[in-house]
Amino acid sequence: MKRWVWSLFILALLSALPLVVETQFYLHIFILTFLYASFANSWNLIGGYAGQLSLGHAAFFGIGAYACAIGSVKFGISPFIGLAIGVIIAVLVSAAIGYPCFRLRGPFYTLSTIAFAEVVRLLTLYWRDLTEGAVGILIPFKPGVANLIFSGKVPYYYIGLAMMALSTFLCYHVERSRFGYYLVAVREDEDAAEACGIRSARYKLYAAMISAAIAAVCGVFYVQYMLFIDPEGVFNLNVSIQAALMTIIGGAGTWLGPVVGAALLIPLGEFLRGWLGGAARGLHMAFYGIVLIVVVMVIPQGIVVTVKNLLKTKATRKVEEERR
Amino acid sequence: MISYTFIQVLISGVLLGGIYALISIGLTLIFGVIKVINFAHGEFLMLAMYFAYWMWHYWGVDPYASVIVLAALLFLIGAATQRGIIQPLLRSPASMQIFATVGLSVTLQNVALFLWKADYRTIQTAYQASKITIGELAIGYPRLVAFVGATAMTIIIFWFLKNTFTGRAIRAIAQDRMAAMLVGVNQKRMYMLAFGLGSACVGVAGGLLMPIYYVFPTVGTYFSLTAFVVVVLGGMGDIRGAWIGGIIIGLVEAISGFYVPALKEAVYFAIFILILLFRPSGILGLGRGFEEVAQE
Repeated sequence: MKRWVWSLFILALLSALPLVVETQFYLHIFILTFLYASFANSWNLIGGYAGQLSLGHAAFFGIGAYACAIGSVKFGISPFIGLAIGVIIAVLVSAAIGYPCFRLRGPFYTLSTIAFAEVVRLLTLYWRDLTEGAVGILIPFKPGVANLIFSGKVPYYYIGLAMMALSTFLCYHVERSRFGYYLVAVREDEDAAEACGIRSARYKLYAAMISAAIAAVCGVFYVQYMLFIDPEGVFNLNVSIQAALMTIIGGAGTWLGPVVGAALLIPLGEFLRGWLGGAARGLHMAFYGIVLIVVVMVIPQGIVVTVKNLLKTKATRKVEEERR
Repeated sequence: MISYTFIQVLISGVLLGGIYALISIGLTLIFGVIKVINFAHGEFLMLAMYFAYWMWHYWGVDPYASVIVLAALLFLIGAATQRGIIQPLLRSPASMQIFATVGLSVTLQNVALFLWKADYRTIQTAYQASKITIGELAIGYPRLVAFVGATAMTIIIFWFLKNTFTGRAIRAIAQDRMAAMLVGVNQKRMYMLAFGLGSACVGVAGGLLMPIYYVFPTVGTYFSLTAFVVVVLGGMGDIRGAWIGGIIIGLVEAISGFYVPALKEAVYFAIFILILLFRPSGILGLGRGFEEVAQE
């Protein structure tokens, strides 16, 4: 009950925010945060709950983005249909990668996704007729709901907020569903899970497919917001790593973790980039890398769980003191 | 009749495969012993290549002469990584170990980008363009040296693991961590040694590659991707398999590069998925971690 009140309160607060904040740069940071929080939520489903690390989530993100961009620019298809096509392709592809890997133990899924993302990047560079190669696709600016393009940042803000809220709600729901418990059981001990009658390969595959669908939706949002897409921007390994990084920092396998991670890292990254400037190219990614190592070594459960434990011990201490 | 061009392609494939084999053996050795995939393996190669470049740039050291120094340097880096990052995480889930090495990879790549910029750097040597001709076939001298050097390093590693006491201890701890520790194998030291040896492989590879390739901060990504395919092809943790896999991938690259140059990597990936589908334990069937979980 309390959790609901808090969530609605924060949601209402965020909804009211554009009425007060008018600086475009701040709105931009909020929109990016919503986008990456949704993307991290998608990663969390397979990487957090199911414990199958994907290092190629950029591929699904990029497939969604490219399907939508190619559809609207080359074939004049509505972005809504482009979205559907992107999601379908991403889901099919993730099933095709997941199927051979989830039957096996060991880090095969991680290796496959990392290799797959690289292959998609190279194919996008290769099929120039369709994708414009390294030049990228520029989407003509024609505002309108039918084109899913808006002239201000505020509509994007609300769509992004809705996307984040929905995907977070989905994760929250999964965490408390039978499906979610199956995934966690498989992550913790595959043999035990199998012994209980859970078809581990099948549920991992489901998780991967749902995750890919959300990632593709995020990709569509990205391209409709940026109105530009190129292989380096969406298929870069760094994109995949950021999704994983935010989830880990916030807390993998918790519904709040990815949102907390994105809310911390995106503003920090943007300010660092602005502050360091072009002279320090690469330095802010290096910072991310160091943060990743430190988090894994010091607070592997992520911020959410760590803070919860701290609060719990405090509360427990209080109770214990009162008892005395 | 098979044309000379085709034989030429095959030869260059095998020569290239030698280098792939060496890089992959390092990766598979680390995985076989410590059960950790070092995602920073490619970045270690990048460091080795930069070290070779700077030694040539400032002191005029020939990259072949710097191979020993590079091997020693990378051995230290590898051992330090094991001691500082992997050892404290040994009891954590595998995902945490993966993330730690991914973090290391991102850090190294971007620090290199910051320090040395994105420029492609090459070195010039007197023997760079020289070749050995047999009839109509021509074999580039640096490529031949790279192949011979890589094979020599491979043989040394084999011999070390097979015939020395320490090598046996490493193999023992790879087979069964608990049992080996019970009979007195020093786990910390063996892990550091194995990680160091695996990294020394890319040290050697870096020196051998420098006269034929160029170095830039993300050079490791390309080679590590190839190494992943090779390692899975050979069977995870199987050193002999990795050597054979390296040669096969070298051949595949040369042949597909000849016919469909732009789709080389797509061919790799197709092979990768096919192996996972039909023979996840690798060519020799000695890979680890391939146990099938469930039949759907």
